[in-house]
Amino acid sequence: MTVRENFNLEMIELKEEIKLLGSMVEKAFFDTMDAFHSKNKAKFEQIIENDKYINAIELDINEKATLLIAKQQPVASDLRKIIVALKVSSDLERMGDLAVDLAKAAERMHDYEKFKEYEISLLEMANKAQHMMNNVLIAYKESKVMDAQHVASMDDVVDAAYGEFIWKIINITITDKRDIEHITQMTFIARYIERIADYCTNISEWIIYEVNGQRFDLN
Amino acid sequence: MSSLTSFDPEESKEKNENQSPTITKDRPKAPVYQTKALNLWYGQTHALKDINLPIFENEVTAIIGPSGCGKSTYIKTLNRMVEMVESVKISGEILYRDKNIFDKNYRVEELRTRVGMVFQKPNPFPKTIFENVAYGPKVHGIRDKKLLKQIVENSLKGAAIWEEVKDRLHENAYGLSGGQQQRLCIARCLAIEPDVILMDEPTSALDPKSTLKVEELVQELKKNYSIVIVTHNMQQAARISDKTAFFLNGEVVENEKTDFIFSTPNDNRTEDYISGRFG
Repeated sequence: MTVRENFNLEMIELKEEIKLLGSMVEKAFFDTMDAFHSKNKAKFEQIIENDKYINAIELDINEKATLLIAKQQPVASDLRKIIVALKVSSDLERMGDLAVDLAKAAERMHDYEKFKEYEISLLEMANKAQHMMNNVLIAYKESKVMDAQHVASMDDVVDAAYGEFIWKIINITITDKRDIEHITQMTFIARYIERIADYCTNISEWIIYEVNGQRFDLN
Repeated sequence: MSSLTSFDPEESKEKNENQSPTITKDRPKAPVYQTKALNLWYGQTHALKDINLPIFENEVTAIIGPSGCGKSTYIKTLNRMVEMVESVKISGEILYRDKNIFDKNYRVEELRTRVGMVFQKPNPFPKTIFENVAYGPKVHGIRDKKLLKQIVENSLKGAAIWEEVKDRLHENAYGLSGGQQQRLCIARCLAIEPDVILMDEPTSALDPKSTLKVEELVQELKKNYSIVIVTHNMQQAARISDKTAFFLNGEVVENEKTDFIFSTPNDNRTEDYISGRFG
């Protein structure tokens, strides 16, 4: 086996691990929103607990990528692949953290019929972000620049939904002090979802860099 | 070959004029050598094909490429050493400081005093360290002992070996380690005050520590000299050179800023070679 074949194999392994990390983060985000919808408190605990596995995988990817650089001394597109692997895994890990933040915020909310309409808005927004996450992970796996650009363009929709949500929520007339806590947590949730969509855009930028070496600000 | 055109000193001059006057980093440098439509044959073998390559002053230009691609032939053409091979035939021009070195009236001795060369294997003379360095100046007629001493000291300092040999200047140069011998050869080269230093794989016979010293030296020397270095070591080219020319089958595939070559090369063959897919 030549050195180059070895590098290619290790690179495939690294990308497989990122795929795994991506699916774990995707699941954490999905489960959080699902638990938010069904008010399943036990599930929140599970999501918070599982974050340590996401962190461990990201660390493992970091170590493998560092070793690969040290052993193979890659240049040009080979080097970009590793740098992007590091960046994407770091962004995914942050998205995992945001899923935990979401779970914690949702946990603090009560079953409160009054704000049902707002919660539905949040679920719709999360749905869009989930769609971005799913698409960006496929684009990364297949190194597809056009698909990455398409994901980034979807961020505008999430941003608009976020703006609209915040506008709606600041216009609520507070009649009960319990409302304040509830509204605050909903604002946090909206913000975390919007941040997750931003990270998807970040990953889109890294995909473009990996493929053609150019950095674009798609945000 | 199209990438060669992207390296236009006039264009960079224009760019520079549009910049703020405080930015001097990208000031265009004068070309020391300009190679124009150079072709070279060894008998029937077409070893260099239509080479067009500028080499700029106070820069390190790395020549990379697989074995037999013509990089050593090219560097030996720059000081006309290649003519020592009988069957050699050359067409095209190499301008050194705007004069064609192949002109009938061009004095090759003069060229070689301006262009020093360091080889793959250190090749000190079987003489003392002092004599090795003083040899060139003596050949050029310098007899004043005080002046010779000064030249030897300056050259050895320039080659970053003075501290290691100052107390043993009259010992045989063969007693030095490989890395020291190579730096002595660089000192010998500096003693004739060249304008350009050609290095043909100067570290391939050296251990990592000596390699590092020579690399550091090259960085230092480029402040005063223009350096062309042939290297098989890709990381070395990436570390120490400003420009990199990639040779393949006697042609220049790509000649660009080193940072560019090692990050986003234009040609797939360059990418494949630097990332170890062939060669």
